[in-house]
Amino acid sequence: MDYDRLLSLATDLGYGLLESGAEIYRVEESIQRLLHAYGVVQADPFVIPNCIIVSMVTPEGEPMTRVRRMPSHGTDVDLLERYNDLCRALCREPAPLAEAEERLRWIGRHRREYAMPVLMAAYVVASAAFTLFFGGTLRDALCGGLCGLAIGVALTAMTWLKTNLFFKSMIGAAISALLALGLTHVGLGQHSEKIIIGALMALVPGIIFTNAIRDVMAGDMVAGISKIADALLTGVSVALGTAFALGITRFLWGV
Amino acid sequence: MELVKTYLLPVLFAFVASGGFAVIYNIHGSGILICAFGGALGWLAYLASAPILQSEISQSFVAAIVISAYSEWMARVRKCPVTGYLLVAFFPLVPGGGIYYTMEHAINGEISLFLSSFLQTLGIAGALAVGVLLVSSAVRMWGNYHHRRALTRKREERQ
Repeated sequence: MDYDRLLSLATDLGYGLLESGAEIYRVEESIQRLLHAYGVVQADPFVIPNCIIVSMVTPEGEPMTRVRRMPSHGTDVDLLERYNDLCRALCREPAPLAEAEERLRWIGRHRREYAMPVLMAAYVVASAAFTLFFGGTLRDALCGGLCGLAIGVALTAMTWLKTNLFFKSMIGAAISALLALGLTHVGLGQHSEKIIIGALMALVPGIIFTNAIRDVMAGDMVAGISKIADALLTGVSVALGTAFALGITRFLWGV
Repeated sequence: MELVKTYLLPVLFAFVASGGFAVIYNIHGSGILICAFGGALGWLAYLASAPILQSEISQSFVAAIVISAYSEWMARVRKCPVTGYLLVAFFPLVPGGGIYYTMEHAINGEISLFLSSFLQTLGIAGALAVGVLLVSSAVRMWGNYHHRRALTRKREERQ
């Protein structure tokens, strides 16, 4: 067997999993199981949120290592499920390397994504529902939906421009809070804080924080701590963006 | 009418909002309904435990346990990672309001209010994390227990 190609296959599969938002332990376990399934006894993957290192010893006793750097990424549950399915299938019955590589590439090429209008509609619906959820009226929900749309458009545009994560949350929060305060000032919205909170749910890092604590408790300290830092900084940037909007409107309208 | 206002409407909003976030996180097909139902279930647990516990932090803890148990179950049924369901179903519990009010108190210079809402927000986040962890650890221990027992049984049969 060509162990160089096997190592690359395992590392690329791990890369795909991590890129689509899998937990650290899942990535490490998947790589290890895959290598075991192909007959490698000693395999040591080490994964942190922005790097994958896989080291293994071939049955002939030759050690080899591969490193892949992970850029900043989002979460794509559909992709995660499909990489996970591939890993399970390969562990159950190891396919020839060429076929496995082809299946891995196929997943990367054929991503199932929602069309832009559907995605934006989801932002509108989610934000409007959260505005109602936090006790807003129907008119507030309408404003919340508009703010959610603004956040969705801003996030998509800034992802396209490759803006960094913290700046993205800050600008998104500022735009939506300004819009919410503006709509309330005009008279369409009634409770500006309910609208702002409802729309902000798309930016708040609660998920990252919960995942981070899970990583820490699972024993992946490096990953956990870097994710906690990520969550705290994102939370601070959301708060700063909103504070900026509140400050400006108070200055302008003296509310 | 009171029942509709305190339970049904918030749970319905949580359902719709979680469904929206399921689409944003690129979940397709029946997965959307599962996530939305998880969000609604979590919020129902939060509301239903209110009369007994009367504290946002303990209520969040209970809701986190319910959601994690539900997601672990669904992951077993559908044979796919827990992450997606857990992620989205948690949205209604995330203390978005807490972060906003903390920030507002900070820019108004109300230090003691700022500190208390900051600690409250951190407490809720911690309760959520511990709730998830409790369930996932229990599930793992249960799995390992069965794995070990199967191994011992195999060894005994061989002897």
